[in-house]
Amino acid sequence: MIDVILQAFASIVLDPVTLGLMLIGTLAGILAGAIPGFTIAMGVILTLPFTFGMTAIQGLATMLGVFVGGFSGGLMSCMLTGIPGTPSSVATTFDGFPLVRSGRPGLALGLGLWSSFFGGMISAVILVALAPQLAFLGLEFGPWDYFSLIIFALTITVSLSGGNITKGLIAGLLGLFAATVGEDEINGVARFTFGFDDFKQGFAFLPVLIGLFAFSQLLTDVEDDKRAKSPLMSQSGSVVKVEHMKAISIILKRWVNLFRSSFIGIFTGILPAAGGSISNILAYDQAKKASKNRSNFGKGEYDGVIAPEAANNATAGGALIMMMALGIPGDIVTAVMLGALMIHNIIPGPTFIQDEPLLAYGVFIAFFVAHFFMVGLQAFSLRIFLLVTKIPMYVLASVILAYCAIGVFALHNIVFDIWVMFFFGIIGYFMKKLGFPLAPMILGVVLGRLAELNLARATGISDDLMLFLTRPWSMFFLLMAVISVIFPFYQNAEKNTPFSRLYVPISMIALSLPLFLMDSPVRMVVASILVLSGGYFLYKSYNNIKAT
Amino acid sequence: MNINKDTIVAIFLLLFCGIMINNSFEIEDPGYQGMKASFWPTVILCLLSVMCLVMLIKSVVYKTDNNLDAIDENTTNIFFKFKNALICFFMFVLFLTFLDYLGMLIGGILFVFGLLTLLGGASPKKLFNHFIISIITIGIMWSIFTFGLKVILPEGELLRIW
Repeated sequence: MIDVILQAFASIVLDPVTLGLMLIGTLAGILAGAIPGFTIAMGVILTLPFTFGMTAIQGLATMLGVFVGGFSGGLMSCMLTGIPGTPSSVATTFDGFPLVRSGRPGLALGLGLWSSFFGGMISAVILVALAPQLAFLGLEFGPWDYFSLIIFALTITVSLSGGNITKGLIAGLLGLFAATVGEDEINGVARFTFGFDDFKQGFAFLPVLIGLFAFSQLLTDVEDDKRAKSPLMSQSGSVVKVEHMKAISIILKRWVNLFRSSFIGIFTGILPAAGGSISNILAYDQAKKASKNRSNFGKGEYDGVIAPEAANNATAGGALIMMMALGIPGDIVTAVMLGALMIHNIIPGPTFIQDEPLLAYGVFIAFFVAHFFMVGLQAFSLRIFLLVTKIPMYVLASVILAYCAIGVFALHNIVFDIWVMFFFGIIGYFMKKLGFPLAPMILGVVLGRLAELNLARATGISDDLMLFLTRPWSMFFLLMAVISVIFPFYQNAEKNTPFSRLYVPISMIALSLPLFLMDSPVRMVVASILVLSGGYFLYKSYNNIKAT
Repeated sequence: MNINKDTIVAIFLLLFCGIMINNSFEIEDPGYQGMKASFWPTVILCLLSVMCLVMLIKSVVYKTDNNLDAIDENTTNIFFKFKNALICFFMFVLFLTFLDYLGMLIGGILFVFGLLTLLGGASPKKLFNHFIISIITIGIMWSIFTFGLKVILPEGELLRIW
């Protein structure tokens, strides 16, 4: 084990090419995160074509640099201009911007930067500790369980991506359907090709992803004529000297907030589709509730900066845990990383850490290293950021559209892929306009083939479809899928309706059933706790309903 | 009864499902044991049809602010609202249509120059700026992919003749 870790360490830290690529990636990520209208996911997606010519570890390390850099990039724009660069830094604006306006920009940036760093470090430690353990758990999965896990990943993406659940499910199903076009992997039979030879190879993952996400986003960015022609930011801020030591000292004194926010970030990251945009607000809310200086929140409170920044960087580690351990992407960024691995003929799954230990531990180490780059590059990237903000959006969009075409062509060297990107770009644009979330569709495209493959394996082993309901893990994931589909209705229901009061206890009791069926003393204990807590909440709810 | 954007989208999606389900009957069955090639897509399409039907019913039963009358009155406004997106679509189709003839380098430069000018305006100063931006950015990207990543980008018949 130690020699594998040392080898992985050498492949990252002692390889100047990998380090250089990570440096460029982190800088690009900081800028992508800082520019409003761009997102971290878009930064990672646009990096992918460059990684085709790299080794798998170089490609993943570069993308991790963009990922980690992106989370901290958002804090520059939100603090200096009051406009969040990415949705994951929205809550940082609440106290970061007032702190800057009160004449402490150096301290505000320092707090954000070092909170991001510590949050990332905490999640990196949890990632290293938890991912291999979770992968061991994943080894228990049969194709039935894996299929149900994919269904759960899709349904929770739908319920957490916000908006209309029907539209979310339609988007997810459209994604699954798009993945069926072309020759199927099991029988080699052509499907939905309508006589076109180009369709036989199916829609490659990258053109679909770039089209749905990047292409449609660029069209949205230039939609407003006036905004497209004006510079990215009217207020571009100015270069400030970051107060590193003071910021570190303040953060370490508030270690409870730091750890709580980091764990919120990690947990949110583990949930498929719940990324930094949710974790930063959750952590801010919890920090405010726990603080003695609640009235200072919104006026430049230090805890109000530490919480969201620690949480959003910790989310990255959480999202990686699911991808590394089970091969299920936690968000769009990890879905792209999954695609990058597939391009290098590596299929992530429960055996990934065992089969590719060098690559897996390389990812862990790259995640650590990227955080050091993020801190080191902040002062330099601040200067570039101030220059980039003077460029109008229409210039960036035009250039990036052309880049998308070149990048997509580089995948298989065929023009058909650019047409696919264009086609899915139009679909993505209109879906966004009509209120359909894109995340479920993207996940559907990524996981579609995996779902079909596992379904085929399961039905190949046994004709008994009841196994999906009777195998404990499969039952557990299907129950989770049902619970996640009902979740938005629970959120919208009045707090006092009987349904909303019974949702949590019934879910707890239901989830205990598959845990009882698993032959493990620890899981029996967890199941017993779930039943007892569920029963207690049910009793309380019943009394409340009776009283009202 | 309300008819709104969601109603139209749901009907369109139901038609799409119908066509695809019909096409799924033509998927060949090689007679191997195990799951048929048409099984999984049929399951997805059936679920999709059900969800579209739910969307259609919801759009008709519940009132939404996507009323069609309001849209009809403002067709011109809608055109202007989507003007830039339509320009991007149009330019991209042109770029792809002429890619085999112009190649990625010339085609890319013309695409970026054309798009910049159509979106940003065409004053002499802007035309000059757009020209410089398109040459530099596409030139750099083309060089990175051609020389750095060893990707053979479409050369184009024009350059070959020349």
